[in-house]
Amino acid sequence: MKVAIIRFLGTNCDYDCKYACDVLGIKSEFVWHEETSLKGFDCVILPGGFSYGDYLRSGVLAKFSPIMNAVREFANKGGYVMGICNGFQILTESRLLPGVLLKNNNLRFIHKDVYLKTEGSRCYFLKDSNKNLLKMPIAHGEGNYFCTKEQLEYLKDNDMIVLRYASEDGSVDEDANPNGSVFNIAGICNEKGNVFGLMPHPERAVGHLGIDGEEIWKSLLE
Amino acid sequence: MKYTVIVKPKKAILDPQGKAIKKVAENYFGKDIGDIRVGKYFEIESSEPKETIEELANKILSNDVTEDYEVIES
Repeated sequence: MKVAIIRFLGTNCDYDCKYACDVLGIKSEFVWHEETSLKGFDCVILPGGFSYGDYLRSGVLAKFSPIMNAVREFANKGGYVMGICNGFQILTESRLLPGVLLKNNNLRFIHKDVYLKTEGSRCYFLKDSNKNLLKMPIAHGEGNYFCTKEQLEYLKDNDMIVLRYASEDGSVDEDANPNGSVFNIAGICNEKGNVFGLMPHPERAVGHLGIDGEEIWKSLLE
Repeated sequence: MKYTVIVKPKKAILDPQGKAIKKVAENYFGKDIGDIRVGKYFEIESSEPKETIEELANKILSNDVTEDYEVIES
C-alpha cells in the first residue's frame, strides 16, 4: 500500500499524517496540489489545515486544484481516500461526500480530545478495528456537520455514518456534541465505503501521541 | 459590466454568527431589534454575460446545501 499525502497551499497536518504512516510502517509520499496524476498510489490522504486560508468557504478553493480531478477519478474507480478535518471539508465541497461543514455552533475554535462511537459502517478505513469507542483530538472552527433530512436518512439507510461524537461511557447525546453536528456526526463515508471524511485527527492519536488513531491507520497495512 | 452577488444562508439553516451579532445588538440598544442573518457580498467587474456570473455564483461562490444566491446586474 502506497499512500499519497496531498499538500495544498495552507495544509498543515501533512507531516502529522506522514508521522502516522511512518509509525505504522506504511509507505507514503507527499504530492503537491498542482500535480495531475496519482499513478502508483493505492490511497490518498487529504490532510488537515487551512487550504487557501479557508477563504470563501473552507475547502472550496482547494476543490479546484489540478490534483482534485485525479482524486475524483481515483475515488470513482474505488481508490481509498481519507479526508481529515480540512480534508473532510474539501471532500464535501467536491461532492465526493454529502453535506457540508458549518461554523461550530458556539463560534469557537475547539481543540480537545473527544470520544467517538464507531457505527459499524461500510467504511474501508475501519474494517480492521474491533473497538467501538475511540479517543482522538479534534481541532477545528468549522466542524459542524450539516445535511438535509433526506441526506441524513440516506446516510443511515446505507451505513455511511462512520463516527459519532459520544461521551466517555459511549452514550451519544447532545452533551457529547462539541460543535452542533447533525446526529452527532464526526465522520461519514460514501456508498462504496472507499471515501472517508472525518473531523477528528487520527494522525494525532498514534505513536507517542495516543493509541486509537491506529484503529484507522492500520487499515492501510498490507 | 458590474455585477453584485449576494450569498445568504438558507432559511432552514441556523446562523450562529447572526445570533451572536443579534445578542450584541440587544445589549447595545437595550432591546431586541430583530433577527440578523449573515451572508456574503461580492462585487464583480466583468464583460461576461449574466449567465457566466450565475454559474460562478452557483458553482463557486455558494454551496447549494446551505446557501442561496442572487445575481444583480448594475
